[in-house]
Order: sequence, then structure tokens, then C-alpha cells
Amino acid sequence: MVSPSHNAPGLSKNMAASGRHAGHYINKNSRSLLNHLDKLLGQRGFALSSVLRQQTATLQNDSTEAIVIPRKKTWGKEAVLEALASTVNRDPTAYHYQFQDDPYLSPRTSAESKLYSMSQESGRAAAKYFVDMYPKYFTKDFAEPHIPCLMPASVALSLEEVSEEALKERIGLRKVGAAVEMYDQLVQAGTPISKQMTYDLLDLICFYGDREPAQEGEPEADQTEASAEELRRKRGRFHRASDTLRGVWRENNNAERLFRLLPEREARCYSAVIRGMVKHGAFAKAFDMYTDMLNNRLTADVDIFNALILAVPEMREAYTEKVDFITDLLNQMSQQKVQPNLQTFNNVLKVLRRCGALAKSISLQTLSEMKALGIAPSLASFNHLLAIFYKGGSAADYPTDILQELLSEIETISFTCQDPEDVWFFSSAMKICLETKDMKLGYKVHSLVGVGDNWRLLGDSYQQGMFYYRFFSLLCLMEHVDVVLKWYHQLMPSLYYPNPQGMRDLLQALDTESRLELLPSIWKDVKTLGHDNKSDLVEELLSLMAREKHSPEVQESFADCALDIKAAFDVDRRKPSLEWSPLALGHVTTLLLRAGRIPQAWEMMQLFKSKNRIPSEALLEDFLSQCSGAPTTAVELVKLSAAFCLPATPQLAQRVLLEFDLTEDQRTTLSELESSWDHNE
Amino acid sequence: MYRGLLRTARQCAFSLHQTGALPPKCDNAALPVFRLGRSVGIHPFNTSSTSYCENKENAPAPPQLKDKEDAQKDSASLAAPTDQAKVEITAECEGTNLPDNVPPPPQAKYKEDAHKDSDSLATPTDQVKVEMAAECEGTNLPEQGETLLKTPLKTEEENQQKTEERQPRVKTGKESLLDLLVAMKVDVTTSKKRSKGTKIPARHEPTVTPKPAAMESTHSMFQKATVEASIQSDAQPSVASLSPELVAAASAAAASLPDPSRAESELLQQLRQHEAEPEDHKRGEANNIGNIIADMKVGRPAPRQHARSSNTIHFDEDGRGYKKSLFERKRLGIFNPATDEESTDAAIAGPNLWDTEFANLLVRTANHMPRNGFEEMIQWTRDGRLWQYPIDNEIGLEEEAAVAFHEHIFLDRHLEEGFPRQGPVRHFMELVVAGLSRNHHLSVRQKTEHIDWYRTYFQEKEDVLKEAAAFLN
Repeated sequence: MVSPSHNAPGLSKNMAASGRHAGHYINKNSRSLLNHLDKLLGQRGFALSSVLRQQTATLQNDSTEAIVIPRKKTWGKEAVLEALASTVNRDPTAYHYQFQDDPYLSPRTSAESKLYSMSQESGRAAAKYFVDMYPKYFTKDFAEPHIPCLMPASVALSLEEVSEEALKERIGLRKVGAAVEMYDQLVQAGTPISKQMTYDLLDLICFYGDREPAQEGEPEADQTEASAEELRRKRGRFHRASDTLRGVWRENNNAERLFRLLPEREARCYSAVIRGMVKHGAFAKAFDMYTDMLNNRLTADVDIFNALILAVPEMREAYTEKVDFITDLLNQMSQQKVQPNLQTFNNVLKVLRRCGALAKSISLQTLSEMKALGIAPSLASFNHLLAIFYKGGSAADYPTDILQELLSEIETISFTCQDPEDVWFFSSAMKICLETKDMKLGYKVHSLVGVGDNWRLLGDSYQQGMFYYRFFSLLCLMEHVDVVLKWYHQLMPSLYYPNPQGMRDLLQALDTESRLELLPSIWKDVKTLGHDNKSDLVEELLSLMAREKHSPEVQESFADCALDIKAAFDVDRRKPSLEWSPLALGHVTTLLLRAGRIPQAWEMMQLFKSKNRIPSEALLEDFLSQCSGAPTTAVELVKLSAAFCLPATPQLAQRVLLEFDLTEDQRTTLSELESSWDHNE
Repeated sequence: MYRGLLRTARQCAFSLHQTGALPPKCDNAALPVFRLGRSVGIHPFNTSSTSYCENKENAPAPPQLKDKEDAQKDSASLAAPTDQAKVEITAECEGTNLPDNVPPPPQAKYKEDAHKDSDSLATPTDQVKVEMAAECEGTNLPEQGETLLKTPLKTEEENQQKTEERQPRVKTGKESLLDLLVAMKVDVTTSKKRSKGTKIPARHEPTVTPKPAAMESTHSMFQKATVEASIQSDAQPSVASLSPELVAAASAAAASLPDPSRAESELLQQLRQHEAEPEDHKRGEANNIGNIIADMKVGRPAPRQHARSSNTIHFDEDGRGYKKSLFERKRLGIFNPATDEESTDAAIAGPNLWDTEFANLLVRTANHMPRNGFEEMIQWTRDGRLWQYPIDNEIGLEEEAAVAFHEHIFLDRHLEEGFPRQGPVRHFMELVVAGLSRNHHLSVRQKTEHIDWYRTYFQEKEDVLKEAAAFLN
């Protein structure tokens, strides 16, 4: 969790110190040497002595300081590796280290990368599962010294008899049901159970809400958990809080039963039960329990208050009531001489998010209170603060003051994860930057990620993707296209897999700066990213290319690109393939025509027919003007047009008759076509 | 006189309620009017309250989202300054409007600014206003009307109770107005409660004061619990203790109710509340019943006041926006910086399941994917899978570190006992020892075990050896 990164500066300091040491040494020696030389050489040694004199002059100011012998430094076991790791910079052209394996397996799309990392994880989990489940096959210990993490962990119950030892084992292995059963048997047998053990059992039951915990070691459980998480993310952040409280606190469950059986109830028991109740959604009961505790003349601990504060929004409806309730709880805390911790204030801020505009000033006061108490806020505190100040859509009313101020405060701080919600900060901060279209702030947020180990708090791949997507969209909106492309190449394969929307933003940026000649290379990236089956993206790309005429070279590259796109349509893959739309067909044909590739363009015209799409008149006109030297093609075109029953057929036929050098046969067919059309009319 | 005045106030309120001049939902503008009417009606010197209230009646109900300050201005302008009370109220309204009119902050369009600014003055009169504002926010109109209607039911006796104390203090102006308002509010709640019928605590405690009753009237039990807890801690909970008889009686009474445990805890709370009261009386200043009631009110309005007063300061101090650094603003002022004593307390207990699970959650939350090979090696080092850097080939030999080298090498002393002094066995064992002394794979303990094994072996085979005469020769 916390990496002792302070070692690196320590190293440099130490080096500096030794450098100074050496300086002292030279200084001292040079002076004594100088004296000697003066004596020995007298006037003749002027050249040499002047050099030494110079040296003393430069070191004069240093000599007044007392010599401090640095203390012996004991290095952590990771210090060397950390120093080495700090020398490695990110290679923007490479995939993430995690994916550096067989080049064939390198994930090129976000879906593939997710698949890769998940299969990596599940492979590890499966291996661990087998090692733990069948320890009898893994008895040989090759390693010396012994490596505990490679040996099977005991997951099965070994003690069968009814004893406190067995209870302890069941608690340690988180077997809620078995532990409760053992406890009951012990009580029935009249065996005395130590207080500590009882409390541990109560903790266990309350934590899991009198339910068996989901087995983490089992691969299939992991998978379902992961997919559930996926779902939760898709539904957005607002549902998260309620989802985590999925578990239900059943009436008269084992925790309450055990609690009632306790001969003397200490604050710790109340703490366990209240936290369990809040965790599993029994908010009103938690407050009942708290009242009960006060009646028993006990003072609550900080965990109780933390839990109760979280439960406040479920107890009160109106914003003012919620705020009052929180203030009241905090006052009670201070009256009971309970020192708050970071979690207390984070919970307060979290609850204030649901208090509307009223929360604004109070949240700032809360932050000042933290400062006054010497509690450094974590990123989660700031995230809550931002959420309070930037309610969806109202960003225009509140300029980015708060974020600006916040960033100037924390610019250089390296954070560690102290709250599970820390990881939401960066993506929501970037969201605000995007909404307010503040590029400077966006850069600031991005540079904050680079400070220290802050990148660790970017969250999982989804949150990370959101962060970079927002940053990239902001860049596309606000920055010059060269800068955008610079960032694009810096972020693209190593950190961020742009989604179709991100690519569309990039296309728009290129469009506004009229740098459309870059489109073919973008198409290549689109293909690599696996977005070549997103029809709207492909069509947008095509329409941008076909919109205007460009220089011949550009047209040439566009035509190549168009053929490539055509291939993407044709390829039959497991992915849902693209459907030709008349627009896309038309664009591809136009591009081919502009590059003078008549045969390929003619193939496209055939495609219209086979796909039952109808070409536009303008396209047919264009086609005619391009194929001036090929009367056969022109006649065929008119035939095609007639087959589609296009109203423009007679005009086309006339034009061909006028402009082209036709054979007699062709003339007759054309006239027939023209007349038959008229007849039809 | 009071009765008459109050009745007019009530009629006024009632008519307002009946005519439906006010929107059904809580109206920002109309409620202060209510309150003003009431406060005016209570004041002993007010004689023109009826007309005042009538004025109010005619006041158009502004749209729901209109700023409250508008309403205050309205009331100020409508009220003809004919008597002392009204002048006071007008002044107060003006006073509170003042910060609004002076440099309008950019955020001034927000509704809550009105709330904030009304708190800017710390004079007691403001408290009245705060009350009003609070009422406007929270309760909805029909409730208001109801409480107002019930007021006269109770006010008669209450007023009689209070006349003695009010008479001497009556000339203190604002203070007395505040006291009376606070008292008035309590009366309202009391009457509400009593109209529901007698409750159990009344049976146990013959000296019922308005205090517990007021507590009862809060509509939620938890709010009550918290309010009482705050009062209780005010009154130094260590002093109060219940006699066992009382507790027994309370639980007996509670048993007859549908929800015994809750009722019991309620009763116990009430009882302790009453016990705490004599302490108040002992303090001296509490002989004034009005003061007790005023004390009691501290529980509820205080946080509200607090919340907004700080708001005001925030806006007053910085004029526009936030000039100060983010952390240097006004703070909540609830906690005092920690002393070390408490922190040690928690450390002794050691981590429990909750702590370890929280730590695990944090570890899972943060991204620990290595970015390069060295970081991966750091992870492996932490897992204990990798040799530590700088390389030290004595890692994992911590037990051996305590053993001196001579114990490894000079093993002859182990041959002193149990082996013959000479002969082939001795010779063999010397060879064994020589071999062991060169063996770096075994620990000293293993070496001695090795020798011990030979010792027992030769002792077991002593007969055979003797037969072969090899034991000694």
C-alpha cells in the first residue's frame, strides 16, 4: 500500500553529503599541501601554488561548517530496486509492462487488454486455488530460505473437537456458520470462552452480516464478482453506494443473539454490532443500538461514529435535517472525547454530497477542521468536495475556483491510498475540467497524476480509461492539432486505448484544423484499436475524406485508405461486421474516382447493386465525367442507372450520347433506355 | 391581556390557514409572516397586533421560490412602527437585509444566501429570525397551522406560570422578546404532546417540567436520542445515576407496551433526564423556569445557527469568492486537537477484523500493477520470493547467526561421553566428526543430532562389538 519512496531522495542526500565530505577533505589537504609547498618551493612554486590557492578560495565558504559524519544508513531490502526502478521511464510506444509477453498476445484494444489482465488474474487465482485445495501434492519445499507465500495456505478445518482452539481456527478461516455452531456447542458444554474470542466472533458475524463470505480463492466466484463489478460500473457511480449495502441485516440474526447473550457489553461489542448494522443496511437499528449504548453509560468509539455518520442520509430526508444530524453527531463525538480520524471526515463529506447546496460551506469548514486537527485529507475527501461543488450541469454557475485552488494546494503531494474512494478523484477532476473546458486545469490534473506514486490512485482499468478519455477529449477540444497528436502518440498504446468517441473527437480536431491528410494514418489506428466495425465512426471518417477535393497525392492515399476500408467491410469475422450504407458506398466510390481508379470504382458500382443500395445522382454524374475515355463503362453506368429506375437515367443517357464516342450498338441501347424510361413515365 | 392578544394572533393564523391564501407547500415568504405575527402577538406591550396581523393577511403570497429576504422586507414595510415590538422587528429586518444590499456577492442569486445573511448578526434578535427561517425550511404549512391552533389550549396556564418572572424582566427589550419566543415555542410543542393524552413518564415522575415534554414532542426517536444525549452530556452524565427501583419500574411499565425494549430505553432516558435537572437547579441560574426552557432549546437550534453563521462569515469575510487558501477558512470548531493519551488507547487494542479488512480493501483499490521489471522485482521481494538486494548469502540463516564458528568446527567435545576412548569406534567417530566439521549444509543442532544417533547406535550394538572385540581395541 505504502511504498517507502523516501529512500530515493535519501540516496541523493547521502550522495550529496559524501560529496561535501570529499570537498572538506580536499580543502583540508590542499591547505596543508599548500603550506608544505610554500615552505619547500618558496617563490619558485608560484604556478602550482596559485592553482591550489584558487581551490582554497572556492572552498573557503564551505570550511566554516562543522564536519558532520553521516550516520550509517541501513538500507531497506527494496532500496536498490527502487533506485533502479526510478531510472526506467515509460516507453510511449510499448504496451504496458503487464502485457509484455508474447508479441502475439499483446492486446491492441481495450477489450483485449481487459481480457488479458483478467485471464492473468484468473490464472493466478486458479493456481492458488489448486495449491490451497490440495496441499498434499505440494509438500516439497525447495526454497531455502523458506518462502511462505509459495506454500499452500490452510483453508480447510483441521480441528474437529469442540474446543476454543477450534473456534479460533474457524474464526481465522472466516467460516461464519461453523464458528457460530462451535460457539453454541461450547456454551452448551459450559466451557468458558475468553472475552477476546467472543469479541472476535462477534466481529466476524457482524462484518459478514451473519452470512458466509464469498470465497475469494475460488475462480468461479471471482469471475461472478468481477462481472458484478462490471455491471455496477456501467450503471454509474450513483448506484454504487446502495449496491455495496446489498446485504440485508436479518432480524434476530446470530450477531444480535450473541450480543444479547454477552454478560457484559463493552463499547467494542456495540461498535461491532453498529458497524455491522450500518454495513448491512439496518440504519434505524444502528441508531437504536447507539441509544441503548448511551443508556448503558458507555462512550462510543470513533468507528461507531464513522458508521453512524454514513447512515445519516437514510435516516433523514430534508437537507437541513441531515446537516443538523451530522453536526449533532460530531458534537456528541467531541463531548464523548472521541478523536475523529480521516474516515470520519471523509464520511461526513460523503454524506454532505447528498445535502444539496447547503453542503457547500459546511464541506469547506470540514476541510478546515481537518487541517486544524492535523488530519491530512485524502483524495477521497477532495473527490467528495468536488462532487459537492460541481453538481451535474451546474458547472457553469461555479467556475473552477475550487478545483483550481485545490490543485494549487496539492500540486506536489504524493498521495497514498487511505480511503477506498480515493481512486475516484482523478477521473472526476478531469471530468470537471472537460465540462468547464479548462485546458490549463486539465494539464494540472494530469501532472498531479505524475507526482510520486499518484498514478497508483488512478483506479482500475475502467477508471483509468475514463480519465484518459476525458483528458484526450479535452485536448481535442481545446488544443492545436499538433499538440493533440503529440499527446495521442504519447498516450495511445501504452496507457490509453481510445474508444470510438475518443477517435471521433480526434477526427473533429483534425477537421477543425484542416489536417485531413492525416486521416489514413488515423484509419490504421482505428483498425488496430478494433473500432473498424463501428459503422458511425467509419462513416464519419469516409465522409471527412470525401467531403472536399485535395491534392493528387492526398487523393491517392485516400483512395488506398478507401480500399482498405472496403476490405474491412468485406472481411467476414467473428465480430459483427459492418453493413454497407448508401452513403459509405458513395464515399468510397467518390474517393476512388477522384484518384482516377475507374475499375475499382466500377466494382463499387456493382456493389451498389448487390447490396441493394441506390447511388446518388451526383455520384453518377461524377462517375460519367471521370470515365471520359471509356464509353463502354459509361454505357454500362447508364444501364445500371436504368436498372435502379433512377429518374436521372434519361439525362445520363443524353449526356453519354452527346459526350462520348459511341458505337452504333451502344447508341441504340442508350436510346432504348432513354425512350423506355420516357415510356415508363 | 395575553390571552386576548394570543387569540387574535391565533385567529389571524387560522384565517390565513383557512382562506388558503398560502400555497399548500411551505412558503418561504408566508411563514416568516406567520412567525412575525406570532412574535408580535406575544409581546406584552404590543397593542396593535391585530391590525398588524391583518396587514399580514393582505400581504400577497409571493411565488414559492422567491427570496426570503423579500418577504422580510415586505413585512417590514407593512408593519407600521406603532409600538416598541414592531420597531424592533423592523430594525431587525433591516439589519439583516443590510449585508445583502452592501456589495452583492456573485453567488447572491442563490436562495440560501438569504439564510446565511440573516445570521450575520450575533444579537439575540437574530435568533428569532433563525428560528423563523428554520421553520420555513423544515415544516410544511398544515402542521404549522395545527400547532398554532393548539397554542391557546396550553398558553393560558403557561402564561400564568410565567407572569411572575416576566413582569420584572419585561423591560429588557430584545432579551425578553427572545426568551418569550423561545418559551412560546416550547409551549407549542408541549401542548401538542399533551393533547395526545398522558404518556407513561408522567406516571413515574410527579414533577413533570416542560423539559421532557418538549423532548417527547420531537417526531423521531433518534433525534430525541441525540438531542438528549447532548443535553445529558451538558449536564455531566457521570453525576446522574438511576436508582435500581426506578429502573425496575421503568422496565415493568415498558413490558406492557408493544415494543418493550425501545420503550424501556426511552423511559430510562427520560428518567435520567429528570435526574439531571436538579443539577441544573443547583447551579443557581436555573431557578428561572424560562431559563431552563431556553437552555433546553439549545439542543436543536444550535447546529442550524452554527451552520449558517459560518456561512455568513465566509461570505462576509471574503466579499466575493474565496480569497483565502482552501484550508484556512473558518472551521467547524467542534473538535480540539488530539492529545496523545487517546491515540495510545486505540493502539493497544490491536487490529481486529474490521481493520484488517479495511486495509485489504485499500490494497485492492490502489493499482499495484508493476510498470517495469524492477517494480515487479520489488513486489517479489516483498512477497519474499526474491533474494534481497544487496545480495547477502546469509539471508534466512538468522538462527545460525547466533552460533559461533567453533561450534561448527570443533566437534570433538561431543565424543567425550558415550564413546570409547580408543579403538575402531573411536577412530570411526573421529572421521565422522571431521566430516561434519566440513559440512556447511547442516546446522550445529543437526550435527549434534548426527553424533547422538551414532552414540545410541553403538550403545545398542555394544554386545556385538564386544563379541567382535572391536569395541575397545
